[in-house]
Amino acid sequence: MRHLCWIFRSLSLAGALLLGAAVAVAVEGPRPNIVFVLADDVGFTDIEPYGSEIRTPTLRALAEEGLRFSNFHTAANCAPSRAMLLTGVNNHLAGVPNIPELLTPVQRQAENYQGVLSHRVVTVASLLEASGYHTYLAGKWHLGSAPDQRPSARGFQRTFALMDSGADNWEQRPYLAIYDEANWFADGERTSLPEDFYSSEFLVDKTLEFIEDGLGDGQPFFAYLPFQAVHLPVQAPREYTERYLGTYDGGWDALRETRREGAQAWGVIPPEAPMVRMESTADWDALDGERQRFEAKRMAVYAGMLEAMDFHLGRLVAFLKARGLYENTIFVFTSDNGPEMRGPSNPHGVIASRMAADLGYDQSYERLGERGSYNSISPSFASAAASPFAYYKFHVGEGGMRVPLIITNVPGQARGAVVEAFSWATDIAPTLLAAAGVSPPEGRFGGRPVLPMSGKNLLPVLRGEASAAYGAEESIGYELTGHGVLFQGAYKAQRHAPPVGEGRWALYNIAQDPGETKDLSAKEPERLARMVAAYEAFEASHGVQPLPSGYSQVGQLASNLFVSRLQEPLLTVLLTALVLLAAAGWLRRGRSA
Amino acid sequence: MKKVLTAVLGFFAVLFVSYGVRWLAFPGGIAPDFGFQLGDGLGLSSLLGDLGAFFLTLGLCLAAALLTGRRLWFYPPAMLLLFAALGRTLAWLLHGAAFAVPMIVVELLVGGLILLGARTLAERD
Repeated sequence: MRHLCWIFRSLSLAGALLLGAAVAVAVEGPRPNIVFVLADDVGFTDIEPYGSEIRTPTLRALAEEGLRFSNFHTAANCAPSRAMLLTGVNNHLAGVPNIPELLTPVQRQAENYQGVLSHRVVTVASLLEASGYHTYLAGKWHLGSAPDQRPSARGFQRTFALMDSGADNWEQRPYLAIYDEANWFADGERTSLPEDFYSSEFLVDKTLEFIEDGLGDGQPFFAYLPFQAVHLPVQAPREYTERYLGTYDGGWDALRETRREGAQAWGVIPPEAPMVRMESTADWDALDGERQRFEAKRMAVYAGMLEAMDFHLGRLVAFLKARGLYENTIFVFTSDNGPEMRGPSNPHGVIASRMAADLGYDQSYERLGERGSYNSISPSFASAAASPFAYYKFHVGEGGMRVPLIITNVPGQARGAVVEAFSWATDIAPTLLAAAGVSPPEGRFGGRPVLPMSGKNLLPVLRGEASAAYGAEESIGYELTGHGVLFQGAYKAQRHAPPVGEGRWALYNIAQDPGETKDLSAKEPERLARMVAAYEAFEASHGVQPLPSGYSQVGQLASNLFVSRLQEPLLTVLLTALVLLAAAGWLRRGRSA
Repeated sequence: MKKVLTAVLGFFAVLFVSYGVRWLAFPGGIAPDFGFQLGDGLGLSSLLGDLGAFFLTLGLCLAAALLTGRRLWFYPPAMLLLFAALGRTLAWLLHGAAFAVPMIVVELLVGGLILLGARTLAERD
């Protein structure tokens, strides 16, 4: 057996050398296992160690044993964040400036606007695999579904992956009309889900299976666990939902305030940090009792879905502890973006009801969140999930971009504290590589040129050797559908494009005012001008494509849906008519001849 | 009666031509309806070429029959459909294929209607 292990290690090393990139550097002691947990659409104050009332004891324990980051940012929507988290490269360079569902046909002509992970970047999984790690993925991928884009072709040895932006949590069923089916793949091949599927439970089961299967050879593992929770449709087992019935009867404003107090108590926002009330937040008191009861249950299902995710994550922690692996396993937990606000304000309105019915979903109070039921939270409760920040997913306010980040079990790191330094989605991959003793790619990987990682290694911050990863004058730019952001030190320049905003730049000190309540643009015009210039340089260097006038995310989604659904039938009708007319003409000519 | 039969057969002529177009232009959309998974290489070439030709011939011959009233045009589509039904039955009996009752019924029914059309609608040989 030892001989086999030695041969395997030698082959792994030879493979790594042949690939010519992932060079292992010295790490004291055995190389750590890594579990990277990515929640979907979880807001800043949605989990216990960030001030939530939702019970997440596993995440609380991980936070108490590790560090919580209070100023960590991702992209404002899904796939761009995933691209940055997995590659350490800015999403515009990594081929994912936006999710493909929101790209315009003109934008798609640009090489970096395909909405799938470019082969010009290499994933942290590929680099870890090349250095001898086992690499696993169970959960949502959403970075490309063609054979060479699947996770099995991007460094993951064992996979059970959802290719779409989301899917039902109880069965193999699409949640949007743009998908014919929920596209799940196992180890690169199309697959189907078991009858007793519930997403969080199943994905953890798969992760346990992968880890168990690979334990024999003594090699470390990298397990990427991108949960479906709490993406649309928001669904939870009844017993979890029932724990929160009554919790949200006070409404969204009360919850937003409670969450702010909780975040202050947990030390993840400054004391007395002010917050705005979003215009999209409805008047709770204006709702009748029946509607309030329904809205409160929508949020109860959301809370139940998160608690269920935490419970199943707890099974993974327990499994690792039982096998003596926990102490040498680095845990990273974060979310891909802020909370989703696309849930309808009134799910029983004409359009929302029609959409749910077209997908065959029920929206009754009794079955809310259970199998066959489509649930969401409205913009009003989404604003509470992002408390105390402004905006939510798809928007570049802090509510869309600032998310929880917990890192635990990095050797030498502090415990239980809060890191207030700014950090960015691209920092995760280089940090994991550094912890594993693997060098980031330099120029080439797997025989092809690749872009260097732009993210920072956070290990010095984790170990208390540095107070910040970024200097006060270093800039991080970000763009999404015309919304622009530049982070620099404690400041953030921000532009919301129409119709969300007026396209005007605002300036905030997000260290002191994370709720973005005081626009400093008039007070510090020179700073803003410098930051806007830096942002324009970012756009030019990252190939940011302009948007057509009148662009809106919802409009583009509808347009892409229309094209994807009606292009084939319309062209079929047209071509059929042409063929028949040509045949008729030929017959008529034959007759007259 | 003749008008009804002409309308029914006309509908099927357009439907079959549209199937032929879909096999050639959008095979990914129609293949699952026939229980196929699109392969690649020679298999994909045969699938698209043969099934495109089958449905275009079926639909266009039927359209030609209705437009010209010549009996001769009725026979190729009837033969294609009836042989397809026979082939499906043999595939079930001899090769363990699924017994595709709905498709066989449709093929027999439409094939029969086309033969009826040859008797009642044809104005010349």
